[in-house]
Amino acid sequence: MTLGDRGTQLRLGAAVGLVLLALAAAVALDWPLADIMTIGFVERALQAATPIALASIGGLYAEKSGVFNIGLEGFMIFGAANTGALVWIVGGESPTQGDLWAAMALAVAISVVYTILFAVLLIRYKANQIVAGLAVWFIGLGFGPFTAALVWGNRNSPGLVSVSDVTVPGLVEIPVLGPILFDTSPLVLLTMLVAVAAWVFLYRTRYGYWVQAAGENPEALDTAGVNVTRVRYASVIFSGMMAGFAGAVLLAHAGSFTGTGQTMVNGRGWIAIVAYLFGNYNPLGAAAAALLFGGLDMLQIQFQTVGIEFPNRLVNLFPYAAVVVVLTVWGSTQMPAALGESYESEE
Amino acid sequence: MSDAGPGRARTTLDRAAGWLLDASVGERIAIATASTALALSIGVVVVALAGYDPAAFLRNVLVGAFGDANALARTLKFTTLFVLTGVAVAIAFRAGVFNIGVQGQFVVGGFATVVAILWLAPLLPTGPVGGVSLMVVGTVAGVVAGGAYGALPGILKAYGDANEIVTTIMLNFIATGVVGYLVDGPFRGEGNRAPNTARIPEYVSLPRLVFDVPDFSVVGLAVTLVVVVVVASLLTRTRFGYDMVTSGHQTAAATFSGVNARQTVVATMTLSGMIAGVAGAVFAIMIQGYYSDPAGIGTYGFDAIAVSLLAANNPLGVVPAGLLFGGLDSAGSHIRINSDVPVQLIDGINGLVVLFVAAPELFRMVAARTGLGGTDE
Repeated sequence: MTLGDRGTQLRLGAAVGLVLLALAAAVALDWPLADIMTIGFVERALQAATPIALASIGGLYAEKSGVFNIGLEGFMIFGAANTGALVWIVGGESPTQGDLWAAMALAVAISVVYTILFAVLLIRYKANQIVAGLAVWFIGLGFGPFTAALVWGNRNSPGLVSVSDVTVPGLVEIPVLGPILFDTSPLVLLTMLVAVAAWVFLYRTRYGYWVQAAGENPEALDTAGVNVTRVRYASVIFSGMMAGFAGAVLLAHAGSFTGTGQTMVNGRGWIAIVAYLFGNYNPLGAAAAALLFGGLDMLQIQFQTVGIEFPNRLVNLFPYAAVVVVLTVWGSTQMPAALGESYESEE
Repeated sequence: MSDAGPGRARTTLDRAAGWLLDASVGERIAIATASTALALSIGVVVVALAGYDPAAFLRNVLVGAFGDANALARTLKFTTLFVLTGVAVAIAFRAGVFNIGVQGQFVVGGFATVVAILWLAPLLPTGPVGGVSLMVVGTVAGVVAGGAYGALPGILKAYGDANEIVTTIMLNFIATGVVGYLVDGPFRGEGNRAPNTARIPEYVSLPRLVFDVPDFSVVGLAVTLVVVVVVASLLTRTRFGYDMVTSGHQTAAATFSGVNARQTVVATMTLSGMIAGVAGAVFAIMIQGYYSDPAGIGTYGFDAIAVSLLAANNPLGVVPAGLLFGGLDSAGSHIRINSDVPVQLIDGINGLVVLFVAAPELFRMVAARTGLGGTDE
């Protein structure tokens, strides 16, 4: 189950093929490709991909351990709403970068508390994982905007503060890569580190094998003397924490909270689930898939700058349409064998 | 299950159906009641923590839901939509298919209804005859469009193995976006400043009986109840319904007894989408009279999931559950005007209901601990 296995290779090949096909189509339609694939576009795509990648990595850990955390979307809404509210409470009208980071940390801590309650319902009280996960989404859709209405008297916040770019002197001079990686939101770099760390942890450490075994063969793990329930608790709590962080990052990039409609999270938690399915439960694959969806999300700006006539409202739907296509073509993924089954140790 | 013959499969099937039909109805009602009570209590605690008067909040809920004829009409208006969308969800969930896309099917159906009526109105006589024919044609258009939009994720699931939870959620976004684009551009009524279609003619409306309000008619509610009865008998009294329910809960057994699992999934999703289409048509004809940007329309198709789960996915149970949610939504409209409590609280409470319904063990354990026979918290 590393980068080398067949499923992953198939997916990689298919993804590369898709990109090539899209490029060919663009050339055939005589689109100004060079103007679309700008450095600014890649930078925006990376920023848009960050929250999806973070939530996706969390979600895949939970699923690897045998618990389906379908509530990612809801936890993201809480992460975003709480970060916004906390920034306002800590920093008032003109919060600083420090206030933002403090608010993000606090919001992640709150997410952990929520996820512990959720995990207890799922694992101890054997709640239906799908229905409970949907419930988290609905609760988020209600209480997220509710929080906003309490704090700002409106479902949308005023402009708060967005995270400022970090420029690494020296490295920024590298052509192409420099401005993309070393003159951007620090959260982008952080996410890349998280993705690599999550991969190493999952495939190269004992604990990572525990997580995998909890989902694939809980009996064996139990026999080996490891507490399956504890591994699952840890994985689910990690997934909620990451989703909360993803929401915080979303807010930190946007600089304000939007609570109208489906809130500013707007399906990203669901896309995160598809990202790890597409990435074959591999943290690096999930991050790459997130980048694909992030790029589609940002295409609208590129279309506008080069003057391609296409209604905005429809361009915005590309990521959702892509999800449907991806799921249909690569729908049958290798799910963990014991996914969704509660496990009782026979002591 | 490798060498189980049709005979054994049949027995399993019967046992499954028997379990489904007479599983302790009492316990389910107790769990539904306890879930609702617990969710409402948490809502009241949140109201108090946020610095509002919880007693006033509860009074507003009651007055807003059932206070006078207008409040009651509003409650029944929302109830109509919740019952229809709730039945749409219940059909799918019963068959083990998680159709989260009722909202999208509802939007597509309602939009198709308005478009069909606007197109055909010039061809038919004005007056009651034309009005009734247009309503029938419009509803059929809504049913067809909703059914087709439901069939799509069904086909993707059956033949492409695409998880229907995610595809239907994505299709909700797509429905909202595309219909939003259409009412803003190509289908915008002439001279409309807002992104709305033209109004359907005045005579295409349900009669005002009992309640003299513009957006609710008892006829709409009656049609809804007929749909409930038809769906309930379809599920429990026909071969088709039997196959649907058993294939959801005993997939292997159903396959052995000759049920085509793939076709059943597609049929289930189509039927579910068709009922969502009826809801869309009722919304378009009875309530709005035109179509607007779906981003601004109530999320009936989402709340319907709570309605259906609360009713243990039983179409008949959806009626009282729909009334409960209709009352809550109606109370929300009242609270929006008459109190400072942010109305989004009602949505949060809906979510909590779903959360608790998902964890019946919670109540069973509490009941066992406290030694109560019932499962009241």
